[in-house]
Order: sequence, then structure tokens, then C-alpha cells
Amino acid sequence: MTNAVEIHELDYRAGKSFAIQDLDLTVPTGSIYGFLGPNGSGKTTTIRLILGLLRARAGTIQVLGEPMPLCAPTVLARVGFVPEQPHLDPTLTVRETMRFRAAFYAKWDGGWAEQLLHTFDLDPDHLFGKLSKGQKGKVMMLLALAQRPELLVLDEPTDGLDPVVRRDMLSALIDYVSQHGASVFISSHLVHELERMCDWIGVMDNGRLVSHMPMEQFKNGIKRLLVSEAPADAGSAPFAVLARDRNGAASETWLVRGWESGMTTWFDGHGASVQSIVDLDLEDGFVELLRTFRRAAHGQEVL
Amino acid sequence: MFDHIDPRSPNPLYAQIAARVRVAVAAGSLRPGDALPSVRQLASRLRVNPATVVQAYRELEADGFVELRQGAGTFVREVRAARRAGERAPQAATVVRRMVAEAGRIGVSVDELHAAIADEIGVKAP
Repeated sequence: MTNAVEIHELDYRAGKSFAIQDLDLTVPTGSIYGFLGPNGSGKTTTIRLILGLLRARAGTIQVLGEPMPLCAPTVLARVGFVPEQPHLDPTLTVRETMRFRAAFYAKWDGGWAEQLLHTFDLDPDHLFGKLSKGQKGKVMMLLALAQRPELLVLDEPTDGLDPVVRRDMLSALIDYVSQHGASVFISSHLVHELERMCDWIGVMDNGRLVSHMPMEQFKNGIKRLLVSEAPADAGSAPFAVLARDRNGAASETWLVRGWESGMTTWFDGHGASVQSIVDLDLEDGFVELLRTFRRAAHGQEVL
Repeated sequence: MFDHIDPRSPNPLYAQIAARVRVAVAAGSLRPGDALPSVRQLASRLRVNPATVVQAYRELEADGFVELRQGAGTFVREVRAARRAGERAPQAATVVRRMVAEAGRIGVSVDELHAAIADEIGVKAP
């Protein structure tokens, strides 16, 4: 089995306004896949489709090699899920919550659950409903990890939590992944956290996957160039020009994709020269990508 | 030693981790026979992909800085003094390259950069 998640030509509709169209998405086994996108772009819907909580109109979803939602019971036994909003019984204590959860998972690791309780500094006798937001997040992570899943699906697990809690949760996640080689599918708005962990990046916007590639490729491929005597026509360039802005009489800033070292020679051949090449971090790359994608979607010309 | 890695830097994380180890060996704060943290420990501490740490350790092994002993861990190898000194020169070059690029971006001239370095070192020196 080479892919933890494989989605083909998926089509999903909720009412008239929201649709996921023609979605193809692959999470390679053993990867940590970062799922980015603005609010309302369809990230949570995609996650719910992966988990078999929603039904698609067309297309196929395979999770851990089995079709969803057809094989949901056996697949979900091997998948750990941390939802955006915890949905546990607030009247149970942490200990009771753990015992309840353990009953559903054959591979539940009680010893490790105890250890995580200690690592996360959680009091097992507290009621879940009375916990702070950060403590609830830690309980959710504990439950997902202690069932020893082959795939972890995390929907904004650390968003809105303080940095200390975020660190503890992600350290525990990475610790688990390095021991067991599990795959991770994680959505978040905390781009710098994803930038540290992920080796794959997918970007959703408006129900479509607009970019999907290894992190290194994503980060290396997008550059901001300062060009003097910029040629009017960039049609023959070996890279894609996402945007260009005039700085003054003789200088322009270009945003390009698919950049490789040595491509400055193209400018030399067109009487122009590159004054500087600026690397973008994941957040800049993500923002620029969305900006150009939307410009294209609105029928404006992308130069 | 690993605390200030920067995920936003264009320099890949594995290269940053490997560079930290090289500098520590060059400076003598890591000695031959010292163990590096396990992949699991370091990945979890830095919250980076375990594959990134593996890649860093492999690069260090290929460069002869560490040896991977099956089942035991990763250990610093004996590196000759001359090599250790030699290792610092490319590190210095990297620092300067980054500085010059940044200076160019914000419009600081080479002379101004020289003056600032002299100033900074003058202040910091005892």
C-alpha cells in the first residue's frame, strides 16, 4: 500500500453555494501532509469525506487501502481523528473518557495513555467539560494517539491554543510518528508549524485543490524577482509568471513559479537582468498562490 | 545547540541541523564518541519531520562527522583539528552571503556594511 489516502475525481455538494469539484488528492504512506486553505475553502468537508462522515456524489476515496465509506468500521479502527471542536461528553472525567474510548479500539495502548496523561500534565479526575481549551486539545490528542493509529487525521488541532500546549501536542505527535511510521494528514492555519513538520503540502481554495506537491518543491519553486528592463512578453520564459508589478521606470517585481537556478540566462537573452532573487517562506508562497489563483478564477488575465 | 533552527529560512531544515552539529564539532562542544540525540528525540523536540533528522544525520555520516552504529545510535567521529578549523570557513562564508543578500535587498551599500561590521565587532570585543 503506497498511499494512506487516495481520492479520485471526487464531487460533493452542499446546497447550491458550496461544492467540492473534481478533487484528486493523494497522501503518500508515511508522509506528514499539511492541508492549507482559507476558512470555508473545503478543508473540513474534505476531512469529513475522508472519514466517511459525508457522502460524495461521485468519485472514489480509499483510506489505508480500503474504500470509504463502504469499509468505514474497519478503516476507522485504524485512524485517529482530532476534530476542530471536541465533541466528548462533558460530564465524564478524563479517566472515564479514556476508558470509554479504549473499549472501541483493539490496539489501545493503556501504558502509553498513562504516560501521555503525565506528559500533558492532565488530571484524570477532572471533568472533561470543566477543562480549559488547551487541556481539551491535549485530551483529544491523547485519545487519538493511544489507539495506535496508522493514519492520523487532524483538523486544526492546535489552532487557538497557546504555544506551550501546541508544542506539547505536536512533540507527542512527532514522537509517535517516528516510532510507528504513521501517516499524518493535518489542516491548520498555523503555517509555520506545518512548515516545520510536513513533507507534503496541499492547498484548497473554493472547493478545489489548487496546489499539491512535496514541501521542498513548493518552497523552492516560488520566487520573487527584481527585474530591470523587464521584457513585455514573458511567453517564452521557462518558468510561469504569476504576477508582475512595476516599481519605477525601469524596474519590476515578478512573482514566478517553477523557478530553477540558471534561469536568469533567459532574462539576459531578452535585454533584461535580474537584480535579486528572494526566497519565499511557506506563508508568503501560500498567500501569493491564492492571490494569483483567485485572479485567474475571476477571469482576469494572469500575466 | 539545536534551539534556533528557522523553518522559514530557504536553507532546508536538514541542512540547518547538520550545520549545527558541524559547528559544535568544530568548536569542540561535541567531542569524538559523544552521542547525538536519537532521531525520535530530536524530531520530537524540534517538532520536525523525523525524515528531516534522518537526512541531516545521513549527510553528516557521508561527510565523515558521525557514524551510525546499528541499534546503538549516532556518534561523533574523530575529526582532525585542521579539518575542524577548515569547517568554520564555509560557515563564515554562508553567514556573509546571507548578510550581503539581505543588505542588497534593503539597499545597504557595501561600505555601510563594512562599517557596521567593524562597529559591531568593536563593541562586542572586550
